[in-house]
Amino acid sequence: MLISWNWLNEFLTLPSDVTLQEVAEKLTITGCEVESIERPCDFLTGVITAKIARLDKHPARESLFVAELDLGVGDSRVVCVTAAPNLNVGDIVPYAPPGAVIIHNLALGSREFDGILSQGMMLSAEEIGLPDVADEFGILRLPESTEPGLDFKSLFGLDDAILEISITPNRGDLLSVLGLAREIHALFPNSELKNIEIEDIHNSVAWPVNFKGITLEHPDCLSFALGLASDIRIGPSPLKARILLSLMGMRPISNIVDVSNLTMLLTGQPSHAYDLELLPEKEITVRLAMDKEKIITLDGKTHSLTTEDLVITSGGQPVGIAGVMGGENTEIKDNTRIVALECANFASPRISRTSRKLGIISEAAYRYSRSVDPMKVIQSLKYALKLFSDWGCAKVVYGHYEFSESTRPGNLEVPLNSKTMKRILLWDDMVEAGHILSRLGIEKVREENGFWVFSVPTSRPDITIEEDLVEEVGRIRGYELVEPRIPDSLHERGKLDPISETQGHMRNIFLSRGYTEVVTYSFIAPSFSKDYLLSKNDIRSYPVKLSNPLSLELSCMRTMMLPGVISAVQGTIRSGWRQAVRIFEMGRVFLRLEPGSNQLQEIERLTGIVYGGSDQRSPYGKWEMEDFFSVKGDIVAIAQNRGVELTFKQGSEPFGHAGQSADIYSEEKKVGYLIRLKPGIEQNMDFGGPVYVFELDLDTFMATRLSTFKDIPAYPAVYRDISLLSEKSRLAEEVIREIRSIAGDLLWEIRIFDIYEGKNIPEGQRSLGFSLAYRSEDRTLTDIEVEKVHSKVRSGLEALGYKLR
Amino acid sequence: MKDILENIQSISEEFDLSLTNVSNTSEIMDLKVRFLGKKGKVTSLLRLLGSLPAEKRPAAGNAVNELRNTIESIIQEKTLALKNDELRQMELQDLIDVTLPAKSRPSGGFHPVVEATNDVLKIMTGLGFTVVLGPEIEEDYYNFEALNIPPHHPARDMQDTFYFDDGRVLRTHTSPVEVRSMLKYGAPIRIICPGRVYRKDSDPTHSPMFHQLEGLLIDEDISIADLKGCLDVLLDSFFNKELKKRYRASYFPFTEPSLELDIECIACSGSDPGCRICRGSGWLEICGLGMTHPNVLRSGNIDPEKYNGFAWGLGLDRLAMLKYGLNDLRTLFEGNVPYLLSGREA
Repeated sequence: MLISWNWLNEFLTLPSDVTLQEVAEKLTITGCEVESIERPCDFLTGVITAKIARLDKHPARESLFVAELDLGVGDSRVVCVTAAPNLNVGDIVPYAPPGAVIIHNLALGSREFDGILSQGMMLSAEEIGLPDVADEFGILRLPESTEPGLDFKSLFGLDDAILEISITPNRGDLLSVLGLAREIHALFPNSELKNIEIEDIHNSVAWPVNFKGITLEHPDCLSFALGLASDIRIGPSPLKARILLSLMGMRPISNIVDVSNLTMLLTGQPSHAYDLELLPEKEITVRLAMDKEKIITLDGKTHSLTTEDLVITSGGQPVGIAGVMGGENTEIKDNTRIVALECANFASPRISRTSRKLGIISEAAYRYSRSVDPMKVIQSLKYALKLFSDWGCAKVVYGHYEFSESTRPGNLEVPLNSKTMKRILLWDDMVEAGHILSRLGIEKVREENGFWVFSVPTSRPDITIEEDLVEEVGRIRGYELVEPRIPDSLHERGKLDPISETQGHMRNIFLSRGYTEVVTYSFIAPSFSKDYLLSKNDIRSYPVKLSNPLSLELSCMRTMMLPGVISAVQGTIRSGWRQAVRIFEMGRVFLRLEPGSNQLQEIERLTGIVYGGSDQRSPYGKWEMEDFFSVKGDIVAIAQNRGVELTFKQGSEPFGHAGQSADIYSEEKKVGYLIRLKPGIEQNMDFGGPVYVFELDLDTFMATRLSTFKDIPAYPAVYRDISLLSEKSRLAEEVIREIRSIAGDLLWEIRIFDIYEGKNIPEGQRSLGFSLAYRSEDRTLTDIEVEKVHSKVRSGLEALGYKLR
Repeated sequence: MKDILENIQSISEEFDLSLTNVSNTSEIMDLKVRFLGKKGKVTSLLRLLGSLPAEKRPAAGNAVNELRNTIESIIQEKTLALKNDELRQMELQDLIDVTLPAKSRPSGGFHPVVEATNDVLKIMTGLGFTVVLGPEIEEDYYNFEALNIPPHHPARDMQDTFYFDDGRVLRTHTSPVEVRSMLKYGAPIRIICPGRVYRKDSDPTHSPMFHQLEGLLIDEDISIADLKGCLDVLLDSFFNKELKKRYRASYFPFTEPSLELDIECIACSGSDPGCRICRGSGWLEICGLGMTHPNVLRSGNIDPEKYNGFAWGLGLDRLAMLKYGLNDLRTLFEGNVPYLLSGREA
């Protein structure tokens, strides 16, 4: 919200030592953040008013005029050349003599136009920095009554400072000059607030029509007043008003519209002008709209309403959406003769709902949504009609107005107890609190059972409970006065939740294993289920979808972590990275319980992705290559660190390489997968080599397990090797299981040291080399003992059909 | 006798001379044989002793023995030196360039927001807050109504919300966890809740997804002083510096009174009117806070007559960006590895 400092000061006297900067700082710290202070016409210097004493065509240049200007100092004249076609002798204009500065910090001098020396120039609206205040093409003409030779800038309020203030939604009262003046008054105890006096229009001329009255059919229209002005002359507003509006960020339109806007800026009360003769009947009824009732608003758009919207009607037809925007059918036009001006009050929630639903955030709707003081209706109507009369935009302004109300506004009584104030602010000076509240217009009415009862004006509907009063006192007194302390109640140790604790531990392992941590969006593109070949009976194909996503690409809540980390790798490659990429992310996936169900689970996951990079050359050759087993190593390491045993089984994920995928199990439950991406998908996504991905339920790793240590074995192990031929399709783990079951308890450890297939090995088979360690916990094994068990293993394996080598 | 002594002298000189020509272990073995071997020169001298008169033998014997001992120890020493030399030469055959790159994977890069979150959790659990988590897909009730934000309240405009068809929302703040926790644990309560939150907004300073840390403390007789005390600890510890702070009045429907906390600009401390971080104001908005509104306590089934308390919602991304000097919020969620790895550099 833009606020004119000059205008504010018309209603407020601040102590002389208070600067604008101090006011801004105080406003900011008490809740109205002043975002900037601009002086839009600051550059303008040396411009004075001048009267055109003589005006001739330029003798040599057809398109130019030569003016002689009276600067209000005797008979002396200055000569000024202009191309503007809109001037006449006697016009008063802003004149920038040589040395003056205009827009773009342009310093003026004298310039010759074909033999005639022009001293400085006469200015247009653009040249003073306010293009919107122009009411015609050419030089800005000032009111006839303006004296020549005066300082133009101060005379027309161009020396103003404009505060841009951000007003919180609870403070509708501050969306007006009067409201802010009140607020600033509260901040500066020695300031004085001036009341706005509006004389009644004392005439008893009857309305030129027989108006049948205003009917309020719904209580959400709290009150409705209608004033009348006739013999309308539509034209530009006075220059000063146009300048003020322009400075406050509103474009001057015409006197009728400008009156309405200026009134709203001053009091916060929106108003609306109807062409009385276009009202279908000479009556107004405010009611709920009928379902699908149509209205064309002033902006030319057609809206279909529902029974939740409040409409202003006349003769049964809607002529406006209450508090939001007027109808096109009763719009003021150039030929309008009689204006009916509405000032009304509507309940915030209803206007807020309609405005949000229809997407019309008009100035009126914005204010009504944040509440407008119901006591301002009549005052504002009178102020607006007064401007009609002062500005000559109506010949007759009627002293009588129509009024109807469904709720008589009244002040709310709110009690305040010193104990409550002390509890929150550690301070309980009730007298000082009373002073602060009084400056806000909140007066103490009585004392009752230890409470001071305050009367809260209708302009402050945000104050309803004791805590609200404490806030008013607290913020104006200043929160910097409350000394910080550590609460007594913090006397026990705090705890991490198991999820954060587990994540914190696991991330350190991944970081040290060379993975980079990412955080990717929780939303993904709907194409993911197709991209990753998910089947119809896969619950991951049924993501929950946002009904108002930022874009289609960000419309589904992720059911798998894969798409996020894939695009992270793609982005990394796009940015020119050629080396290996290792990424991990911890976060949630969102899964429906069943395809059609709205019941959701948010599951914490850990995902990792490894891509060898487009440049895998290394002085160490294959040593550094990433493959399925290097990534498996990371998973096994994290499992070991968390004391969890994982088993890897041949995998089934649809997006996994048919030959290089594992499903990962913990205690017979599938807890994740490790796959190489299906080569077709790798190709579609332009990866130049294999991509390995894993995804694991965090849950698997959450049990906290205290490490237990065993004594160093007291007796040595004896090592024997076995090499055998086995079917390639036979899993290594099965062979090991068989060896273990034959060997029994003496086999302490078994390790694969060699895998070989190819030359000298029959087709479809491979050679596996195992190192077996035999050890007993209670004695040194003798060679005979070892030989016995080892030959049992050998013969047992042969019996199972393995060929020993 | 004189012969022998002369011989000793000449053998000694010959040995010294020969020694200078020895350059490897096999040559020194030869030398040893030449002087100390069965037919060596010193050994021959010993044999000559027998031909000397008995009275001269001891003196001559001593002289020869001395020569033999000297030569022996020199040869031993030289042999050791040459052996070491040869081993060294052999090792140098396997010379490596120690400036070649390290072989194992380089360390990964942490994510600034996760790091900042963990830092804050550590600080606040140390102070006595316990961490709880809540759902990201939230009921409208917990995200808004339970927090004193009725439907169509203009405060909803403050937070552009993502909706689902069934009326649920992506939580716009971590505050819904307040009421959920009050209902679950009752009062007194001391919790913090980190997590992802979502608003329909996207530009360099806004991301549709970002992170907050909720704090909630409910007990008897809680003051704004307690709230300031906790946040002072949080921020000073996080930035490891006593920062200037500004507690400013504000508005949130779920707190009364409501405040906002600004900290001095990390980049310029208010000294640079053209500062890009604080836009010249010298202050950075970091946290919304306030005393929990009685209606929110009621939503949480806590008696506002008996208990009161405070809550805050801290922007973790902002915190991370300030600590690590980052400019674009959205870059944080692109997962760009070179960007994240650059955080490892000093």
